[in-house]
Amino acid sequence: MKKIKIALMVLVFVLLIAFPMLDGNLYHQQLMNQVFVNIIVVMGLNFITGLTGQMNLGTAGIFALGAYASALMCTKLHTPVWIGFPIAILVGFLIGRGLGYPSLRVKGVYLSLTTIGFSEVVRLILTNAIDFTGGSQGVQNIPFLNLFGFEFNTPFKIYYLYFGLAIILAIAAARVVSSKWGRVFKAIRDNSDAVEACGIDVANLKILAFTMAAIYGCIGGFLYTHMMGYINPTAFNQDLSVNYLVMMMIGGIGSVAGNILGAVMVTLLPEILRFMQNYYWLIFSIITLIFAVFLPNGIVSLFKKSERQEKHFNIFHSIKKATEVWGGRLAK
Amino acid sequence: MMESILQLIVSGVAMGFIYALVGIEYTLVWNSTGLLNFSHDKFIMLSAYIFAGTFVVKMGLPPAVGVIASLLVMFIFGMLVAVGIFNPLRSMASPIFAVMGTVVLGRIISEMVRLIWGPIPFTLPNYLTGTYQLGNIIIGRVNVWIIVISSLLVAALQIFFKTTKTGKAMRCVQQNKKAATLMGIDVSKNIVFTIVLSSLVCTVIGMLVIPLFTVDTSMANMIGLKGFSSGVIGGFGYLPGVIAGGVFLGVLENFSTIVLPAVYKDCVGFVLMIIFLLVRPSGILGHRKNLR
Repeated sequence: MKKIKIALMVLVFVLLIAFPMLDGNLYHQQLMNQVFVNIIVVMGLNFITGLTGQMNLGTAGIFALGAYASALMCTKLHTPVWIGFPIAILVGFLIGRGLGYPSLRVKGVYLSLTTIGFSEVVRLILTNAIDFTGGSQGVQNIPFLNLFGFEFNTPFKIYYLYFGLAIILAIAAARVVSSKWGRVFKAIRDNSDAVEACGIDVANLKILAFTMAAIYGCIGGFLYTHMMGYINPTAFNQDLSVNYLVMMMIGGIGSVAGNILGAVMVTLLPEILRFMQNYYWLIFSIITLIFAVFLPNGIVSLFKKSERQEKHFNIFHSIKKATEVWGGRLAK
Repeated sequence: MMESILQLIVSGVAMGFIYALVGIEYTLVWNSTGLLNFSHDKFIMLSAYIFAGTFVVKMGLPPAVGVIASLLVMFIFGMLVAVGIFNPLRSMASPIFAVMGTVVLGRIISEMVRLIWGPIPFTLPNYLTGTYQLGNIIIGRVNVWIIVISSLLVAALQIFFKTTKTGKAMRCVQQNKKAATLMGIDVSKNIVFTIVLSSLVCTVIGMLVIPLFTVDTSMANMIGLKGFSSGVIGGFGYLPGVIAGGVFLGVLENFSTIVLPAVYKDCVGFVLMIIFLLVRPSGILGHRKNLR
């Protein structure tokens, strides 16, 4: 089993390396770059929502702040473009601490309320502070990334840079998930009282998870800005936040492989399902809702054997359970 | 000066009652299922569309008939959502899946609305428009209607919870589900009832806010958020607290326009929510029971 896994990973890796050389279509390459950005953001979201179990509905706001911070630095202050990267990390850190401290210090669902408000307020300010952010016109002529004089000015060049970054951040995320922190995060989701009884500062670790989520989100925003060259606030709405949540859930909550799978699927599906036109989002949302009820752990749970080492796959187990739950309710 | 302050207070109280109703509606669901209904703003939007789009504009019914018809439709809708989605979601392994379910439900509703009624916003002409004049004070007709109907609704809900058997059972489920089951209360049925009640309150909100906003798919986003804020300000999961928080937020928000540019009025609720979380997480009325 393990050999097959490694072989598959190598195959995918080689395919991804070769992809832009085989497919010269700029649009496809751009789409893949978007996939890498989404993968990074979803892996961040996974820390707070997937592992720690605190709902974060403000990914759009975090993403927007990361994007705008870097874009405004480049266009207004004419700083070198790479400065945006540490700036994005700093902004993410500030959001994580500033929003995480008030909402996670107290037990409850406050994070979902504050983040949802935060992302609306960010959008409001970006739209209305016209002198500073350009209002609904957005920021134009954002320069491409460059390193040591080499400019990443085509989707082809950006592809390899973002591919590399996504791999590095994915390895980091996977290490965090299986580290002491990751285990504590999962434990907080499952039973926060028990964690507290073990002498672990739950509030602090939740804030840490949220801070990491914000940093990943801001890095995603930074990469997005310098890929698109133009940003405006209308893109960063509630729908975007929900999209990231859907990516995380479709792929698999709590696992990095699942996040990657989900990000790839949800980003590329609109292109495949173009023929449905208007009905696309409706059908897709209904599929997601069915997923939420029948396969809550996402697609990756199809490939994992269930906890009790049963012969059949997890899906049968979960469908059986879900139908039991559903049927039980209906019977009453 | 005096007049303008009074006018600000009246329109603030009217808006505050809307926030309070939003707060009541999601607090009911939160207390009985332990889930936050993130699609509640979509419920409000949907009811506005059903009332204005279908019954008044398309079928040409008089508003009074339209009100009853939309209440009926939303009653059935609430029942379907409760039986098909909320009850199965409540027993999921982790609340995160359930929350996801409500978020996705909201998206399904707004997509359906876009497909059925089209993406173009519209308004209802001659519906609750005009003003009343009292001396030098001019009050919008819609504000008076909002205040009257909301206070009647709040009073009716209080009487319902305090005196009727169903109301008492609902309060019992909110306090302790296991004990409620032991006392012979059908928790699932109770939850269905709560969600139906909440969607009816949503319908009332949706019909009341039509003159204030144009009818479009994002009309209720802001009041939905501020309903959450007013819950945190007044005391989360506590009905009197939510009402106090809503009115407080409505008035304060109106007064903020004296100091701040009007476009940033919507930020006040958010900033206030953060301040309350930092300084007084139990809210104005200091109710600690539901801080879990």
